[in-house]
Amino acid sequence: MRQAITLGALLLPALGVMGFVAVLPLLAVFNYSFHDIFSLDQAFWIGLDWYQEIVTSDRFLSSLVRSLLFSGVILAIQIPLGIAFALVLVRLHPVLRTLGLMLVALPLVVPWNMIPMIWLALVNPDTGLAGRAMAGMGWAFDYKFTALHTWALIVVMDTWHWIGLVVILACASLSAIPAPLYRAAAIDGASRLAVFRHIELPRLAGGLAIVLLLRFVDSFMIYTEAFAINAGGPNGATTFLSLDLGEDIKAYSYGSSAARAMLSFLVVVTVVWAFVKITTRRSEG
Amino acid sequence: MRGFHPARLLVLLALSLFILLPLVQTVVLSFLNTLPRDGLAEGTPSLINYRNIFASDDLRASLVNSGVYVLLNVALCLGAGLPAAYAFSRYRFTGDRHLLLALLVFRMTPPVVLSLPIFILFAQVGLVNSPVGIALVHCLFNLPIAIWILESFISAVPRELDETAFIDGHSLPSFFLRHLIPAIAPGIGVAAFFCFIFSWVEVVFARILTVTGGKPITMAINALFTFQTDIGLVMAMTVISLIPGVAMIWFVRNHVAKGFTIRA
Repeated sequence: MRQAITLGALLLPALGVMGFVAVLPLLAVFNYSFHDIFSLDQAFWIGLDWYQEIVTSDRFLSSLVRSLLFSGVILAIQIPLGIAFALVLVRLHPVLRTLGLMLVALPLVVPWNMIPMIWLALVNPDTGLAGRAMAGMGWAFDYKFTALHTWALIVVMDTWHWIGLVVILACASLSAIPAPLYRAAAIDGASRLAVFRHIELPRLAGGLAIVLLLRFVDSFMIYTEAFAINAGGPNGATTFLSLDLGEDIKAYSYGSSAARAMLSFLVVVTVVWAFVKITTRRSEG
Repeated sequence: MRGFHPARLLVLLALSLFILLPLVQTVVLSFLNTLPRDGLAEGTPSLINYRNIFASDDLRASLVNSGVYVLLNVALCLGAGLPAAYAFSRYRFTGDRHLLLALLVFRMTPPVVLSLPIFILFAQVGLVNSPVGIALVHCLFNLPIAIWILESFISAVPRELDETAFIDGHSLPSFFLRHLIPAIAPGIGVAAFFCFIFSWVEVVFARILTVTGGKPITMAINALFTFQTDIGLVMAMTVISLIPGVAMIWFVRNHVAKGFTIRA
């Protein structure tokens, strides 16, 4: 009994804060999503109408596909690249390694609304370093009207922003590998590839589970950075799920934006849940 | 294993170039005059942007506003997170893993999803335009991270530390202060680092919760975009907004890689 009271006292502050900033608002969104809301005092119960309207609309489906594709591209680039950099960093002199880790952490501390500003300045054909270089090489880079270029800019920008997280966490897993394992592999004459496959990859898998999840969710719901680049254009080519939702919120359509928000939340929860199921089954089996 | 490898240094160099190029561009622009001014041609190297920041009340105030809510947020996350992390590490109770996972889900909840009800809720209790409101709402993603990092550090401390302390007659609070906090000091540093930077860079909540006053640095920068934007001033403000983060990176440089050891 005393133990239960202590446990409760330990958990109470955290649960209280989370209840106020997370659970209450989530319940409110859930409630709004079943109402047609003109103003907050005038709400009418309409059941699942919003959901039905949204799920069957082309606008929702195409932005969902776009967001999933974007997350796929981001993961396919950032995870292998981050691991590759981490593999190089852990083999460097400790001073250089720390320097490298500090370097990749730099973009993480840039305010999110400044990241697109920095990149737009960089690719500016008149004043930007990269923009002038591309113009000098006769490369017509046009992020405003060519969808592929907008995508490329957002993907490169996001990689710049987040590669540090992947590198730092991959380095943490790699530096936990005991040196005798490497020595044993060297005595056995194992190839570089075999060392990676049988020693490094298994260690990486545990630590990377979390980075995979974080990168999935954050790229899936990218908002501030993507919006500032081209406001979802050209022609809606970079209108991701969250940008779509942002439009609804700005238009003050509470009910439909709440339903959209719940649908996004549902996708996120499903992916997290499936991911946890798969990884725990693997570690048990 | 460690020797001189040109290939590795080349990779490091390529990485540095990729990371630093945008930042170099930012710093260079911040030291250029980017608007036509009397007696100063466009593109001349100058300190005018930095002088303008310190001449502007709004910009100076925004630096203070951001600093206040970020520090408050770090204090809140550590204050509420440390006991919870201790509970998750040392006690077994029904649904403990599920609760930890639920916290993780809240870290994953996109801010846009909750922005509307949080605004309405905070407006009702008078937390709009106040740094306390932003500090509180940033706990949504920072508290789970803090609990999670601290839990892995506490779990690395042997239980004997707790047991001997309790036998010596320490109460729980005095055990926390005298033994636990010194033992996991690097963990507290790493948790504070992540809470600090994620609160410092966040934009969506910081915008909706500051309607008329208490504008943070991110919104002060946004407000600089007008019909004739002084891009040099924007970049100078960005450079200044990087300083606290860079200082934090320096403080935790030897510990940051150890922060996330996940136990599912």
